[in-house]
Amino acid sequence: MNTFIDEVKATPGGENVLACIQCGMCSGSCPMANQMEYAPRQLIAMIRADLKDEVLSSNSMWYCLSCYLCTARCPKGVKPTDLAHALESLATQQGYRTRGNNNPEMYRAFVGSIKSNGRVHEFGMMMKYYLSTNPFAALKVAAVGLQMFIHSRLPLKATKVKNRGDIPAIIKKFKEVRSK
Amino acid sequence: MEPRIGVYVCHCGSNIAGTVECAEVSKYAQSLPGVKVARDYKFMCSDPGQEMIKKDIREMGLNRVVVASCSPTMHEPTFRRACQDAGLNPYFFEMANIREHCSWVTEDHKDATEKAKALVSAAAYRVYYHQPLEKREVEINPNTLIVGGGIAGIQAALKIADSGHKVFLVEREPSIGGHMAQLDKTFPTLDCSACILTPKMTLVGSHPNITLLTYSEVEQVGGYVGNFHVKVRKKARYIDWNKCTGCGRCTEICPTKVPNLFEEKLGERRAVYKHFAQAVPNRVVIDAETCRHIQGLKQGKDLCRLCQKGIEKKGIVGCETGAIDFNQKDEIVELEVGAIIVATGFNLFDASRIYQYGYGRYDNVLTSLEFERMINSAGPTGGHVKLKNGNEPEAIALIHCVGSRDEKYHAYCSRVCCMYSMKFAHLLKEHTHAAVYEFYIDIRSFGKGYEEFYNRMLNEGTVFIRGKPAEITDVAEKPEEKGKLVVQFEDTLAGKQRRIPVDMVILGCGLEPQVDTNDVGRMFNISRSADGFFLEKHPKLDPVATMTDGIFIAGCCQSPKDIPDTVAQASAAAAEALSLIDRGKVEVEAATAVIDAKLCSGCRLCESVCPYTAITFDTAKKVCQVNAALCKGCGACVGGCTADAISLNHYTNEQILAQMEGALA
Repeated sequence: MNTFIDEVKATPGGENVLACIQCGMCSGSCPMANQMEYAPRQLIAMIRADLKDEVLSSNSMWYCLSCYLCTARCPKGVKPTDLAHALESLATQQGYRTRGNNNPEMYRAFVGSIKSNGRVHEFGMMMKYYLSTNPFAALKVAAVGLQMFIHSRLPLKATKVKNRGDIPAIIKKFKEVRSK
Repeated sequence: MEPRIGVYVCHCGSNIAGTVECAEVSKYAQSLPGVKVARDYKFMCSDPGQEMIKKDIREMGLNRVVVASCSPTMHEPTFRRACQDAGLNPYFFEMANIREHCSWVTEDHKDATEKAKALVSAAAYRVYYHQPLEKREVEINPNTLIVGGGIAGIQAALKIADSGHKVFLVEREPSIGGHMAQLDKTFPTLDCSACILTPKMTLVGSHPNITLLTYSEVEQVGGYVGNFHVKVRKKARYIDWNKCTGCGRCTEICPTKVPNLFEEKLGERRAVYKHFAQAVPNRVVIDAETCRHIQGLKQGKDLCRLCQKGIEKKGIVGCETGAIDFNQKDEIVELEVGAIIVATGFNLFDASRIYQYGYGRYDNVLTSLEFERMINSAGPTGGHVKLKNGNEPEAIALIHCVGSRDEKYHAYCSRVCCMYSMKFAHLLKEHTHAAVYEFYIDIRSFGKGYEEFYNRMLNEGTVFIRGKPAEITDVAEKPEEKGKLVVQFEDTLAGKQRRIPVDMVILGCGLEPQVDTNDVGRMFNISRSADGFFLEKHPKLDPVATMTDGIFIAGCCQSPKDIPDTVAQASAAAAEALSLIDRGKVEVEAATAVIDAKLCSGCRLCESVCPYTAITFDTAKKVCQVNAALCKGCGACVGGCTADAISLNHYTNEQILAQMEGALA
């Protein structure tokens, strides 16, 4: 791998980045474009300009809502939504941090919960997430959590699926397929 | 005479040699029965390559030649000629296609080489049984058929007719003129379209060498280069065109109003109508689908007929020349022509397919052709740019690339939308006080004087915004957007998502193939390229010929193009047709069918399957015979014959079985 473009192209979701004609259909359609540091079209231009650090430490891909409007409308089949997820993946793997963005911790807590239980245990997952980010922020959602607990929607003890031992094999297989 | 075969394997530069081991193939060929010499060479089609074959024929006494190279459509004539030059009958030549069939379809060297060997072997086995044949010459009919009366058809017809040859011009609509007749001004010179087109239309209408068949469609095409037989359906027009003077009185009396397609449905016409004011021929037709009387006749009722009778109470008289004839029927006209030019034009992209642009949902979103009619002083609004509510627009958005450069619709660039959209910007500045926003991805002003036109538009104050609009909406986010159409887009050069409220949006719709391109293509035996348009023989060096000899294409049926390019291409097609006609004679394939009278049972099945009417029945001998001048060597009769009495020269059972044996050897 020599350039950032090659790296993006080799990541699932980033394959079509060279097909972009910079028409702006994605950025024009994006409901989050005004919140992003770089709207989708500009992000693609920056990838092609080899501005790796700026792209991977930006907030743009993390703000993607996966509404797929850009993908539905893109005239060249670039699939900007998939590209955003590819960039998230690259940024996380390579240790890029975006200020004020806790999404990677949320993803880790989610996957961790699935690894140990075979399904999501909300209480455990959220505890892990707040402990790895800002424990005080948990107070903000405490009221909601309490209500859910009262209505038996937030069990303290995780329920686990049968044949949990197969999960590592599934994850291994996924990593294998993905690395191809 | 014992066959002495020479096999020549071409590298085609690296086209073949890059994948196929040519030396190995040639070495293998040496082991095949009857092969006296096998060589491989960089370019067999070059002079030294051909010379190599000729030298071997002369010096080694070769009497069969196989060249393994490209497609026979490319170089079979070249090598046949080389054989002939060296004194060998050209039908002792056989070609193996190891480029399109081997090297271009795989990257696997081993597979490609193996297949090349099999094809060379098949060709060598086959050529062993070849027989000498003589080509025949047939006379060329000097008449030309032109299909489509747009600017391409008109131009080609005039060029050919002026040279003294007869032309039949067939047009589906009641008048010639095509899409160009609908346009207002033409870029970049801003000549009025009608002013430059109508003189040509009139010339076509009055030219002694042009037979004009409007309101007609080609139904059937038979024959071959130099001798086509064409059936044309002249649709019933319910008007005797010999009596009609085109005065238009009937079109004022007729009470049935229907949307006017020439005006892109912005206006209305009557059931009896003239296509447009300057129609050539200047005649009216009755639209059977909507005419009250004709529809009434189907139920046995005698309705309306006001165009014929007039309205007595008001003292209005009907048609004074007695031209109206409700009993008219479709008529089939049979034509004999030597060359055919297909110029069937294009269809405008259906903008309602792009939901987010709101065409068909919002009143003031127009297509480009609708706007052409609106801005035209002879059009339904008299040239006034008006909103649906009658007001003049204050802000107008022009959107490029609608349906073009988009994988979901058409991947190609339609080539005219940038320029006509900029022309609209100019006309809007001229006719209104509105602010004009031009939304583009790339401005493609490639032609003569086009970039200058772009510069002029920039200076006239049109706002150019680089960015493909994401959507047109009537949902207001701010007070100033109330009651407006809002264009949402990214200004890609400023890097900002923006919204601009406008009153009218004009969509720069692309050009696409006519809806019936497939049927027309099948009828004239013209292939289509991936974009759906008709395929030319060679994109650069043979741009108006098709794979069917004697049939040429011109204008937008071949690809989207502007008027200058269409006219140039139409003139080129006329030159091709004339060059063919003036040869006087054409060589036809010697590969024709022959019937063995001893085996023929006289069942006449072959006669019924022959598409070229080349087979006749000899009533005295009770057997069928092939007229070699008409036979195209298609082989239909061979397959049809139940007695196995017919064989096709150059495709005999012996030759084909040997070819299969060779392929499997």
